[in-house]
Amino acid sequence: MARRVDRWLTPVALGTMLGLLYVFLFAPVIYLVYTSFARDTTWPFPWNPNVKAYLNLINLRAYQEALWNSLGIGLWTALISMALSAMGSIAVLKYRHRWRGWFSIVLISPMFVAELLIGISTLIFNRKVLGLPGNVGSAVIANAVHGMSFGFLIMLAQLVRYDWRLDDAAMVFGANPWRTFWHVTAPNIWPAMLGAFVITFLLAFNNLEISFYNLGAVPTLPSLAWGSLRYGLEAELFALAALVNGVVFLAFVVIYVLMRLGIVRFGYRGI
Amino acid sequence: MAAPRRLFYRSETRFLLLGLPGVMFVVFFLLFPIVSVIVFSFWRTESYEIYADWNLDNYRTVLFEGTYLTFLWRSIVTAVVVTAACLVYAWPVAYFIAKYGGRYRLLLVLALAAPFFTGAVLRLSALQAIMGPIGVINMALGMFGLPAVEFLMFNKFASGIGIAYLYLPFMVTAIYLSLLNFNFQLLNVAKVNGARPWRAFLTVTWPLNWIGTAIGITLVFIPCLAESLTPTFLGGPSGKLYGSVLGLQFDQTGTWALGSAMGVLLFAVCCVVIAVMWWTIDLRRTGFTGAGR
Repeated sequence: MARRVDRWLTPVALGTMLGLLYVFLFAPVIYLVYTSFARDTTWPFPWNPNVKAYLNLINLRAYQEALWNSLGIGLWTALISMALSAMGSIAVLKYRHRWRGWFSIVLISPMFVAELLIGISTLIFNRKVLGLPGNVGSAVIANAVHGMSFGFLIMLAQLVRYDWRLDDAAMVFGANPWRTFWHVTAPNIWPAMLGAFVITFLLAFNNLEISFYNLGAVPTLPSLAWGSLRYGLEAELFALAALVNGVVFLAFVVIYVLMRLGIVRFGYRGI
Repeated sequence: MAAPRRLFYRSETRFLLLGLPGVMFVVFFLLFPIVSVIVFSFWRTESYEIYADWNLDNYRTVLFEGTYLTFLWRSIVTAVVVTAACLVYAWPVAYFIAKYGGRYRLLLVLALAAPFFTGAVLRLSALQAIMGPIGVINMALGMFGLPAVEFLMFNKFASGIGIAYLYLPFMVTAIYLSLLNFNFQLLNVAKVNGARPWRAFLTVTWPLNWIGTAIGITLVFIPCLAESLTPTFLGGPSGKLYGSVLGLQFDQTGTWALGSAMGVLLFAVCCVVIAVMWWTIDLRRTGFTGAGR
């Protein structure tokens, strides 16, 4: 009897902890979306919903520019990080080279350098050593160094179980390395690559500490929020964040539906 | 023509072709900058310009002029407490996702990452609006005539909650990724051999997933140590941390050399933490049994 209670009690207790964590993590986001419909952001009660903030966004050039900059930084960082981390993880996992341990350590090391340190050190290096002004490019590179290590870890964890003999089989049948990658490796490891892409995009899109020191006067969403802090955050900023969240939520719903219908399956599960 | 082709097909060449770009990327855009920070920490700044006279004044200032070390010590204590709290909460959650998540595991983990789509500044200001003196929690308590919860307002505890809020998902993800390659059948073996659940956890699950846990601990500890944003919102007047002071050197006061020295000190502390964690890892016990194949 006790055994049976145990069997459902453990998952329920652990699941509750997960649920509470979601509540904790999402409460500020929900509050933000709620406040974006109010006029007064410091005390948005009682709620009289209006969409003024959203309509104002259409005319606010600074906000649009910041959004595009953030998107650009996020996408380029994610692309570079994904490519480098995919290449690195394949090299380390597929080839039993004597340097693979060292390569892994180097590729993963940026993860353990604090963002603040990456920010100030690239600022110093670019500005004083190379004499470059701060711009989106240097922010992308600094973020990509950080993102690559996360991508690398994600890909490693997912690809440990990939059977590289599949690649060898393709090569035996005469495929060149490029063709092998596109026809055999990529179709099998794309969920891992997508995971790396999404996570690195996320990290870069909203990064303040790395980007801030590298951007100079270029506005992004986080730096705009940081800059307007001393005057009090405007409802428009909340509205923009709410829109971003809306898009993300929709993406999640689409993924969930696709998974329910069995059209896509995530995570490499072995063959 | 034939020779380069053969070279391309050699596995050594392909290993280097695939691996070197990433390694060079790290060397150029992380190692060089860090070396330049170390060099600059021995230089001198005067009215926003940096001069190359080698001296130890910056370190003297950081190490012996009291306040900086106080901030560093406060950051270290905060990081230890927050990391411990995250560890205790993250393990059961990661375990649940890995064991009971089924095919929705990745969705559940991605949902942990979803709040990151909103910038930390906005989320922390929302957290402030929820926990602060005129925040949702205290106003709701006031409506029922209850006293406000003071420990949630502008102090180190509130700051700690904010930092945990930012980095807890990293800990969960690291442990989850480790559990993903953990063979849960080992627990049945332990059970068959008479181990009670707690003992099975302590002697099988925990040690075999220590590497993921250690990565999680490091991943949370280091940003906690360098945290500069959260205390601005939740820390109050006595909650300022080392990271905030470090950031100021590059932002407002323009004392880059002093800031570099502070950065080097921070980097040194991080290296010690990484070295300690690395020392505890036994690569032969990574939990990967190869049984998933």
